[in-house]
Amino acid sequence: MAFMELLQVSFSYRGQKQLLNDINFSIHNEGITALTGPNGIGKTTLSKLMVGMLVPTTGHITLKGQDISGMTLAQIGRLVGYVFQNPEKQLFCPTVSEEISFGLQNLELPEHDVQRLVKENLPYFELEHLAQSFPLQLSEGEKRRLAIAAVLVLEPELLVLDEPTTGLDAYRKHLLGECLKKIVASERGVFMISHDNNFINRYASRILILENGRLKEHGC
Amino acid sequence: MSAVVVNNLNYRYQKGGKQILKDLNFTMEQGQIVAVLGLSGSGKSTLCLCLGGIIPHYLGGQMSGQVLINGQDTAKCKIARLAPEVGIVFQDADTQLFSPTVEDEIAFAPENLCLPSEQIRHRVDAVIDMVGINHLRYENTNNLSGGQKHLVAMASVLTLDPSILVLDEVLAQLDAAVKKNVTEILLELRRRGKTIVIVEHELEAATIANRVLLLEDGLLVNDGPASLLQDKELLARHKLLVN
Repeated sequence: MAFMELLQVSFSYRGQKQLLNDINFSIHNEGITALTGPNGIGKTTLSKLMVGMLVPTTGHITLKGQDISGMTLAQIGRLVGYVFQNPEKQLFCPTVSEEISFGLQNLELPEHDVQRLVKENLPYFELEHLAQSFPLQLSEGEKRRLAIAAVLVLEPELLVLDEPTTGLDAYRKHLLGECLKKIVASERGVFMISHDNNFINRYASRILILENGRLKEHGC
Repeated sequence: MSAVVVNNLNYRYQKGGKQILKDLNFTMEQGQIVAVLGLSGSGKSTLCLCLGGIIPHYLGGQMSGQVLINGQDTAKCKIARLAPEVGIVFQDADTQLFSPTVEDEIAFAPENLCLPSEQIRHRVDAVIDMVGINHLRYENTNNLSGGQKHLVAMASVLTLDPSILVLDEVLAQLDAAVKKNVTEILLELRRRGKTIVIVEHELEAATIANRVLLLEDGLLVNDGPASLLQDKELLARHKLLVN
């Protein structure tokens, strides 16, 4: 059984022409799948459908065999982590440390485990020196690293990243790529939207292309 | 007269906070495309905000030194007077789009200058055509994709016909075809004598520049010709190139 399956999914924003048309694909919680395509073609919309933030006009999306229309966002969020294209949309805590601990505390982990995980993740994302900084005053690249860290610390089975390399310099892109490889090695999957062909070619094991509302596999 | 003069520029967002820019000194001549490179957090976006006068006018903080735009001191000049001289497209386009439709957004700045309606129409049409966003003209700005928002933000800046254009990581979110189009627009603007500052992490995107400034932890550590982009050893040393 696929981890996530999209079955004949179509979508249009209210009063607008159809953006996604009869999308069918499945992903397993393994490997790095990249979704690419022209600006405005519906890539971000597709990712928001996958995590339940938008509801398909027609068709179904299943997660571990269960239709996500019957799941709460919190239930979906425990299985699928989502990092927005604009990281500011998901940063709201007064400090970098609290931003990373927020999700863990919501899962009601013992406080010593929360602090241990925060301490482990801060240096990995090179945020240790910013631990007490206000997230919205970080640089764009730092905000993105923080948003990824805050989601990744929750260990979702599938991580969905919308344009994760935007705002990252070459060195941090390299770190991100290596981090994604580690996630995959721990039997989890990554689905990323990107225009960064170099990054896609280097790290993705599968490439999907969205064009004119339809999805095709690279090389098919 | 140089288009941009930066003299001994220092900046902290808060008094006693981390120093973001450290004693920067450089000039930019009219018609140059200057690429500003550096790791995340090296001060590139802060420098852009200084060039546009947003620092110190809106963000305050602790600034010393001087930024001259076409001879005008940004600290002493009202931002309304600077805006037609320096157009900035922010890294986060969401922060500069607020009108209900793309057309309204692009018309907003010339309307604020109280230009005759015929002239506003002409400018809006010309910019929409130049940037290639006719299909988005009547769209709600909230419904645009990340890349489209950047194009609209760029169009809304170009409609004031600024002599200096500052693009903070605009190319990163554009697909290959749109990126090529925007690159051609920038080269055309340079031919028309505009001065352009591009902040980029993508070295390939920076190759249209004829000069490169390299920032590291707020310091200007290199200021040289575009051929710096071919110096793999230098780029690797500054972590701008990773094998």
